[in-house]
Amino acid sequence: MPRVLAQRKPHLLLFLLLSLNLVLMAASVRGVRGASLLDEAILSIAAPFLKAAAWSSDAVAGLWGGWVDLRRVENDNRRLRAEAGTLMLQAREAEEARQEVRRLRELLALREETGRRAIAARVIARGSAGPARILLLGSGTREGIARDQAVVTPRGVVGRVIEAAAGTSKVQTILDPNSGVAALLQRTRVQGILVGDGDGACNLEFVSELASVDVGDVVVTSGLDEIHPKGAVLGVVTEVGGTRDLTRRVRVRPEVDFQRLEEVLVLAGTQQANREGTP
Amino acid sequence: MRLFRAFAGLAIVCLAQMLLGQHLPAVARRCDLFSVYVVFIALTRPQRPAMLIGSGAGLAQDALTGAVLGINGFKKTLLAYLVGTLGSLFMLNHTVPRFGILFASALFDPLAELGLSLAMGQHYVFPAPGDLLMLGVGNGLLGLAAFWVAARLP
Repeated sequence: MPRVLAQRKPHLLLFLLLSLNLVLMAASVRGVRGASLLDEAILSIAAPFLKAAAWSSDAVAGLWGGWVDLRRVENDNRRLRAEAGTLMLQAREAEEARQEVRRLRELLALREETGRRAIAARVIARGSAGPARILLLGSGTREGIARDQAVVTPRGVVGRVIEAAAGTSKVQTILDPNSGVAALLQRTRVQGILVGDGDGACNLEFVSELASVDVGDVVVTSGLDEIHPKGAVLGVVTEVGGTRDLTRRVRVRPEVDFQRLEEVLVLAGTQQANREGTP
Repeated sequence: MRLFRAFAGLAIVCLAQMLLGQHLPAVARRCDLFSVYVVFIALTRPQRPAMLIGSGAGLAQDALTGAVLGINGFKKTLLAYLVGTLGSLFMLNHTVPRFGILFASALFDPLAELGLSLAMGQHYVFPAPGDLLMLGVGNGLLGLAAFWVAARLP
């Protein structure tokens, strides 16, 4: 083998020298595109590898870009969810404020209707015994609230103040069995006393068995108790029962939803006091 | 040492070719000192050093004449190889065969350049036959003179 190589050495040297000169020529001669033939040859050989490298680079860049975009989208998603939560909370608060404004406007309109000095008060608690027989208001004597003042809403009569402290006051609703409101049927002007039945409804008592009472008749205050203004809505007759002791049993559903009561209007001064000119 | 002397001779050839080109351009067109020198070396030296010197001579010629670098190196390397091969096959020690080889080298040069130019996609104007004839004769006479002088050197 070494002998063969030794014999071929001149040819090997020839090949090397010719190759060297060819490379020099290729490097010197300009091709049709202005590049040297060596550059063109190298480019031709390297082109597939360069393309593969470029493709790989593009693929990696695409993957990386996709990953970065994904992370950005994820962050955006998280941020937008937080913003959506905040906006939903704000929307709820706005809705709450809107409803409160509506209620207060209704109270204000009622206050102007009554012609009496009225104090808006917020319900801060409900009595635990039974379905809201007793309410606690967030206003008291400091705001001008006193005992035996009527408490109303635009829907109807709530009850009367039974205790008043500096910052709070207690209201006995018309649902309380111990309450009694002078009432009359709006259609027939038949009078009676509305008393709570302790179960979320009221009974109109002392109604003559001869009186004309129908289901759906509206019951309003008569004003004879000197506490509630005359003509304020109390409820609607839902049931007309049998007679006992010459009176008819009439069941009334109050117009006011006591479970959802939030703001009320306290009519400062009884009718009697108003007539006397004292609050 | 012999290789050094050969390269020193190449330097002299370069200088002579430059001087001829500057002062006697008509003579320079009718003789190619590099080809003569390569043939001389190829006939008097072994093939491998002859090819090395041929390649060096061609590159030097490229550098001096401003030709495409490598084209004369390629031609002279091939020329040295071919002449060396012929010298090993035939008896070329006499005047006539030497003249023939020198004349043929003058023809080989443009033929090889034509081939290379075609391969590289370059244009090449082939010399007129009269010019080639003059070049071959010039190379032959100059080569014979070189052999005569070399034979008398110590």
